[in-house]
Amino acid sequence: METQRKFIVPIGPQHPALKEPGHFQFTVDGEIVTDASVRLGYVHRGIEKGAENRNWTQNLYLFERICGICSHVHATALAIGVERLAGVQAPPRAQAIRILMAELERIHSHLLWLGVAAHEGGFDTLFMYSWRDREIVMDLLESLSGNRVNYSVNLIGGVKFDVEDKHRDAILRGLDTLEERTRHYLNVVTTDRTFLARTRGVGTMSRNQAELFGTVGPTARASGVARDVRVDAPYEAYTLFPVNLVTDEGGDLMARFVVRTKELFESYRLIREILDHLPSGELTVRVPRKIPAGETVSRVEAPRGELFYFIKSNGGEKPERIKVRTPSLCNWASVMQVAVGHKLADMPMILSGIDPCFSCNDRMVLINRGSSSQVWSWDELRRYGIEYYKKL
Amino acid sequence: MEFSPDTPWQKVLDAVRRWARINSPWAIHYNSGSCNGCDIEILATLTPRYDLERFGVKLQGSPRHADILICTGPVTRQSRERLLRIYEQMPDPKFVVAVGSCGLSGGAFRGCYNIVGDISEVVPVDVFIPGCPPRPEAIIFGMVKLLESLKKGKAEVATVSEGAHA
Amino acid sequence: MDSEELIQTAMELLVPWALKVNRPEGNRLDVFVEPHHLKEAVKALVETQWGYFSALTGLDQPPAEDGATEGHIEALYHFCRGPVVLSIRTSVPYSNPVIESICDVIPSATLYERELMEMFGVVMPGTPSTDRLLLADDWPEGVYPLRKSFTGLGEQKLEETDGNAA
Ligand code: SF4
Repeated sequence: METQRKFIVPIGPQHPALKEPGHFQFTVDGEIVTDASVRLGYVHRGIEKGAENRNWTQNLYLFERICGICSHVHATALAIGVERLAGVQAPPRAQAIRILMAELERIHSHLLWLGVAAHEGGFDTLFMYSWRDREIVMDLLESLSGNRVNYSVNLIGGVKFDVEDKHRDAILRGLDTLEERTRHYLNVVTTDRTFLARTRGVGTMSRNQAELFGTVGPTARASGVARDVRVDAPYEAYTLFPVNLVTDEGGDLMARFVVRTKELFESYRLIREILDHLPSGELTVRVPRKIPAGETVSRVEAPRGELFYFIKSNGGEKPERIKVRTPSLCNWASVMQVAVGHKLADMPMILSGIDPCFSCNDRMVLINRGSSSQVWSWDELRRYGIEYYKKL
Repeated sequence: MEFSPDTPWQKVLDAVRRWARINSPWAIHYNSGSCNGCDIEILATLTPRYDLERFGVKLQGSPRHADILICTGPVTRQSRERLLRIYEQMPDPKFVVAVGSCGLSGGAFRGCYNIVGDISEVVPVDVFIPGCPPRPEAIIFGMVKLLESLKKGKAEVATVSEGAHA
Repeated sequence: MDSEELIQTAMELLVPWALKVNRPEGNRLDVFVEPHHLKEAVKALVETQWGYFSALTGLDQPPAEDGATEGHIEALYHFCRGPVVLSIRTSVPYSNPVIESICDVIPSATLYERELMEMFGVVMPGTPSTDRLLLADDWPEGVYPLRKSFTGLGEQKLEETDGNAA
């Protein structure tokens, strides 16, 4: 047996950046990864504790900033939970606008991921194209809310803005373009040979594994586990606008690409339906400043999977405890188990396959080779992967 | 041949170097605790719609090749060390661009236990770009400001828009 | 199965260890168990494939001001299945904060356990890794930020924001 080589891979700011940026540590035997572990905390800011010093409304803004990519779902999860504790419900129109934004956010997030994952595989053309198309959604989000990221849609008890006819037309036009582009992407991820060489049969997670590890979101659905909070426990207007589950039996990276791309179509359909049947009425209800004591669990489906909030109020203006479990944490936990037995060259793709938002991958990678240690950057690991596959 | 700062040769070399730096500055991006909002906007700035590369700015992975450090987020306890290390590894002259309200003041996270402060408390910052997150146009504007001040010589501290954190 | 049936099956499964059962909301079931029974209860769920392990929440109950009661840490193991959220709750005193690890039953629980250990100071024998997950490397030993008694490190105090601050 070769000397053990240890790779410590701190990967860029991860998704629900509450705690995600990770330091991965791979133990490698030759080419094959024999052990994987993770160290988070580079972006740990202490939000859960900070929440206890802020009032409910301030927390809405704080929690929105847990993650800039799926900010809306965080605020939604908090708002739903707090409304439930207060015994009120957002008006129907507000609920519909919430899920409308959630679906737009899903589109932006999936396109972002498609680009970044393609980049990890050395497929920069796809990266540039998908990000160009993503700008269409960004424009829509901006025209609705006034900001491209962190839209602050939610209030406790409703939403801030209305969807008018001019928005409606713009959204429908945007969706038409996107739908056409997405068909093209689906074609690329299922037929391009170089791409398939990096994704087919790689990082396979069986259905049983996915069940046991508590995988969530598209990662679980790509292993054939029908798990989606929007379907299992419909919240807000998802009761009116049911979602069709997209699953795939493959369990490998390719399946994850396919599931996410197909989910885009589902989001387009859903948005059109919401716009056609937007309930009318008020946008907000009154919520007391002090939230009655109690505990509640609030689950919503983020682009990356189930987002879990546990909220406890002591009857005051500030929360007693808010616990956030982000989908990426579940998926980290499972990908660490799956990584074992794969080639080091596959790691960038496998890690990005669960969609931990890789906004910057240019961190250091520390490699301990026997006693000597070496520093790699994530970029070098990525290139190592690409070169490795070029040789084949 | 010996070079002293005043020889004509050295002046020519300096001019060439400055020209090269202004026309093609290389940047490294570091997230010291941001929510990702700023980071995706920086990435968006590099993609075809906004295309920061037309100013010659190229994002690359190693601090040893970088002229500009683009930094986002408040500085967390764990990433402080690494931010400093990256800054120290960059060759002189080097410039720091702080992107986002968090990087300017701590933003929404000010007062959380794992935050040591804003970016300017850890490394000297040349350009502040406020916003949560700043629009890609603002990021481009900030970069152009930096390049302009490079042309004049040393960059003065610049804040990109009105009403920002001083 | 609708949620009523799901809750009934869960209740039947957990009855041997339950100290108390509670239905806080229509789709939720809280089962209180002794710390040393926790693992068996979890095993029972996993063996019958009741749902998946979704989250591990810690709650701090500080000691009474007059010292009449001891401080406790409560751990909530949330399992989800369909619309139902089942929480197995167990409470350990500050003086003996020991909960056995469930990693050999659910390997992916390691991250959650590492979080609970460093945030609340719970000891979890049998857990594969006790490395820091979230807190910085230079974070002092024995300081648990999510306990209520934690108000900041050294001179750095957690900022109280008043209602007007952004
Ligand atoms: S400034 Fe706003 S968008 Fe940028 S990192 Fe901070 S919270 Fe996120």
